[in-house]
Amino acid sequence: TAASARTQFSGARASHRLWSSAPLCATDTIFALSSGQGKCGVAVVRVSGPASALALRGLTGPDRPPAPRTAALRSIFHPQSKEILDRGLVFWFPGPHSFTGEDSAEFHVHGGPAVVSGVLDALGSLPGLRPAEAGEFTRRAFHAGKLGLTEVEGLGDLIHAETEAQRRQALRQMAGDLAQLYRDWSQRLTQCLAHVEAFIDFGEDDLIEDGVLDQVDNSVAQLQTEITCHLHDGRKGERLRSGVQVVIAGETNAGKSSLLNLLCRRPAAIVSPIAGTTRDVVETCLDIGGFPVLLSDTAGLRETADAVEQEGVRRAREKVEQADLTLVVVDATQLPTDPLQVPVFLGAHLLAVLPHGVGLEESLRHCILVLNKSDLLPVEQVEKTQTFLNKNPGLPPASLLSCHTSHGLENFMTSLQSRLSSLCGDPLAGTPSLTQARHRAHLHECFQALGQYQQYRDVDLALAAEGVRLALTGLGRITGKVGAEEILDIIFRDFCIGK
Amino acid sequence: MLARRVLNRPRSLASPSSWAASARTVTACDVIVVGGGHAGTEAAAAATRVGAETLLVTQKIQTIGALSCNPSLGGVGKGQLVREVDALDGLMGRAGDWAGVHFSILNRSKGPAVWGPRAQLDRPRYRQFIQAELLSMPRLTVVEGSVEELLVSEPDPEKPGKHRVTGVRMADTGRIILARSVVLTTGTFLSGSLFMGQTTSPGGRMGDPPSGSGLSRSLKEVLGLRLGRLRTGTPPRIFKRSVDLSLAQLQLPDQRPTPFSFISNGTHCKPEEQLPCYLINTTPGVERVVRESLHLNSHIQQDTRGPRYCPSIESRVLRFPGRQHQVRLLREIPALRKAEIQAPGYGVQYDFVCPTQLFPSLEVRSAQGLFLAGQINGTTGYEEAAAQGVWAGVSAGRRALSLPPLSLSRTQSYIGVLIDDLVGRGITEPYRMFTSRAEFRTSLRPDNADLRLTLKGYCDIGCVSPRRYEEAVRMKAGLSEALSALQDITLSPTRWREKLPQAAVSANKSGIMSAEEVLQYKDVSFEMLASAFPDVLGPYVEFAERLKIEAMYRPHCEKQRREIERILQEESLSLPQDVDYLSLPVSLSQEVRELLDRVRPATLGAASRLPGMTPAAILHLLNYITRTPQRDRSAERSSTPDPQNLSDESRDSFPCVPVSQ
Repeated sequence: TAASARTQFSGARASHRLWSSAPLCATDTIFALSSGQGKCGVAVVRVSGPASALALRGLTGPDRPPAPRTAALRSIFHPQSKEILDRGLVFWFPGPHSFTGEDSAEFHVHGGPAVVSGVLDALGSLPGLRPAEAGEFTRRAFHAGKLGLTEVEGLGDLIHAETEAQRRQALRQMAGDLAQLYRDWSQRLTQCLAHVEAFIDFGEDDLIEDGVLDQVDNSVAQLQTEITCHLHDGRKGERLRSGVQVVIAGETNAGKSSLLNLLCRRPAAIVSPIAGTTRDVVETCLDIGGFPVLLSDTAGLRETADAVEQEGVRRAREKVEQADLTLVVVDATQLPTDPLQVPVFLGAHLLAVLPHGVGLEESLRHCILVLNKSDLLPVEQVEKTQTFLNKNPGLPPASLLSCHTSHGLENFMTSLQSRLSSLCGDPLAGTPSLTQARHRAHLHECFQALGQYQQYRDVDLALAAEGVRLALTGLGRITGKVGAEEILDIIFRDFCIGK
Repeated sequence: MLARRVLNRPRSLASPSSWAASARTVTACDVIVVGGGHAGTEAAAAATRVGAETLLVTQKIQTIGALSCNPSLGGVGKGQLVREVDALDGLMGRAGDWAGVHFSILNRSKGPAVWGPRAQLDRPRYRQFIQAELLSMPRLTVVEGSVEELLVSEPDPEKPGKHRVTGVRMADTGRIILARSVVLTTGTFLSGSLFMGQTTSPGGRMGDPPSGSGLSRSLKEVLGLRLGRLRTGTPPRIFKRSVDLSLAQLQLPDQRPTPFSFISNGTHCKPEEQLPCYLINTTPGVERVVRESLHLNSHIQQDTRGPRYCPSIESRVLRFPGRQHQVRLLREIPALRKAEIQAPGYGVQYDFVCPTQLFPSLEVRSAQGLFLAGQINGTTGYEEAAAQGVWAGVSAGRRALSLPPLSLSRTQSYIGVLIDDLVGRGITEPYRMFTSRAEFRTSLRPDNADLRLTLKGYCDIGCVSPRRYEEAVRMKAGLSEALSALQDITLSPTRWREKLPQAAVSANKSGIMSAEEVLQYKDVSFEMLASAFPDVLGPYVEFAERLKIEAMYRPHCEKQRREIERILQEESLSLPQDVDYLSLPVSLSQEVRELLDRVRPATLGAASRLPGMTPAAILHLLNYITRTPQRDRSAERSSTPDPQNLSDESRDSFPCVPVSQ
């Protein structure tokens, strides 16, 4: 089916990113922000691998190495600019007595985004260090035999969650200008590689003109310039949105905009009894129980002939797919009176709203049901339904409330906050600074590899092609992988090849 | 279980048909190879080299080793395959050196990793060489005949597979021949149809009787294999005397022909006696004729998949109108205005077995003892066929001798890339080798195929003769001595400039440089260094070209080594082939279970490359492999295991042990 095909596709991409870039016999040194995102006093940056000692010396100076497994207060500075980044606690865990079994270090710094990204940047500037892929620390621990059998089961779930978080994050980024840029580069590089490969594999007998390589030369030089510029003003690039992405979705006129207004305590969205009032996504930043939330109200999902509304529905679906948490709003007056019919009814609703691509089970875990307009129901039905919902484990958490009277709001807020806290405590919910550091490392790799093309262009085309291939691999770590078959497709599309 | 036995028959092969027609109705051998094309000949020879009593069944002994399409061997990517087949002691490289009349290295200017050794061949001479080799090979019998069906019995319960192939039944006599392994290399003969213009007739090659309809049925209906259909074509042959060569573009061979084989002392054809080639381009008139006669061409009108990289003139005109194309014949072409056709061109459509149904040993997953190689697996090209043939022959022979199966990694050889692509991804068009398919091509070079394969071929695989092995050992020792000698010569850049005034050793390199580093310079050759240091380097001049290449690539190959190690490590984690994924007591989603059950990846590496596989599932599988003792795993295969066979035999549940690095 189409749905399972989609699942397979996203699964494959995620699996490739995670698995193939994380060597089993890793000797790279990796680093990452290990503590959660959001407002926090202390952030923990973890380093693991043979260059951990170098990292520690590089950021805290050569004197006074901390005693193993003991906290030491140090000034932390950038190894090149010598600029002081923060003053914090550092730890030194020589292998094998560490979480990963390798030499490790930890930097406990103040939790502001500037400090954290400063430290990550500083680590990335050291030779032999690279940002960790999701789950890499845990996997190294696994390979070092540091995890017991029971922990492995948990690790499986964790990696699953990581994959999901990565996928959502990638979708979010891939919707923006930055993604457009990377995709464009990636396409141009793929084209370059295909043309070099065509020249190598078919240049001798076929009508592939030498001019093809001149085009590649130009493209490579142009790409190098663009990547350098981007690396130098990368920080001014796209503003990556921080915070948990919460999306309100549901059928038309279920009261989605009313819920947004209730949560904002101000009319951010226009509310009317006419179905289809909200046609575009309305976004607002909120602080809910101390957690940063980017709340979006979306157009009601329904079949419509109105072109504007159709676009709204499309955007709504896109938004739901990118969300960390979806609030599915249902008009409670349409609930069947027989409580036994309620799960089927709500199930059908969820199916209509949630994306099918990622596996329904997964979507359900990132969703809260809001049964609005409880004020229009008879009191005894409200009670009966709420009791029934509370003890029905097959459904996501569900709250019966009235946006009109605020009745049931407290109950809903408790359930919302508990979801937010588990999302924010999750270090994987997507930290822009971490993502940025990863991107920078891969872009730098890409830039250097293009140098190899130029170095070998006239000496050895196989080694020159290798450079373009490496560049594409670097970029592929950001945008998704490019395989040999894609290259061949371009070759056959662009050239007339044959004996 | 079939007992091993030795054929009691005269070794003389002068009258093989008398053997075939002998009164006995049931005979037996270790390996039967069906088909005498490039895959079949290499398979039969390889099985024999491994030590198996082998029987090669072919329609006509006189067409063994025929070059049915172009008389050309090697090229970019394909040349690497020829070198690797040779490194495993196959026939093709030596046959090419014997029969070649025009040798050239393609891509000479593009770097030694992508050099494409190629030769134009003399057809009869190539056939003669292959036939002479096969007909004099010990342990090998060649018989003429057609195989009507495969004999299938209950599988060995200790091994994966639903059936077991135990031999073949011959078409003409109905005679039954039993064997522990059967290799099918039927090329385009599996339900083949020939197309010429609007006429269609059954057959796999012009001039040969059709065959294989019974085999097609055996594969499809008895074994339940998925088949697909492909098309290919071959050009018309014209008489040289009828071509106006003055209107053609002359292509000369290399002045010093480079032999394919690591053990050939040179080519049979003398350098100065090589023949030139002629290149002729199409004209706009050709395009017009093709378009006007398209309705008369039923081969191209059908939508069977043909190769994109070797398209027919018709497909090309349709896809890239307005361009000039190279073709061999059409009267619209000035040089061919008076061309006389010796044999017309024709198209072929044929069945292939979707190769994802094979193990990396080229054994059919569901049919124990049945191996497939060549076009039957959806490939095209002599070299691709020969490469699979060698490996299927090795695997079939090893199975017959109860040796564990082996696989070649894609990090070690183009043969490994070819087989991994086929069994791991399957095909949608006839598969041809390109250098761009090999992600480690700077390590998998034509010059070092002997170091990569010959040593293993002797020590681990058992398909290489002592003579070749000794030569490879000598070469390896010579190269590594020479490389250390190069590394030991160290001078400052200034001194280097004095020593080698003709080379632009750059001044910006600070410190000391070794002779190996200097050899990386484009304009420095080993001979130059050897004349500067005759005492130290003089003894190694015979390795000059290989040393230059080694020095150029070594830094890059070092960088690749880690990635290669990672892949090898994943590939060394074999997944049991007969495990019941649907009930495995491991936390896996239903989708992943079904995927694993359907594809049955041979290794963890292959599993992680599957579309739809999740990282969490890989982790659980990894945990399963590394934590579950083998004994328990084999117990999960069947509810009533035979305790006697569990201990040693359980290793057989791994379809392939990678050949060690």
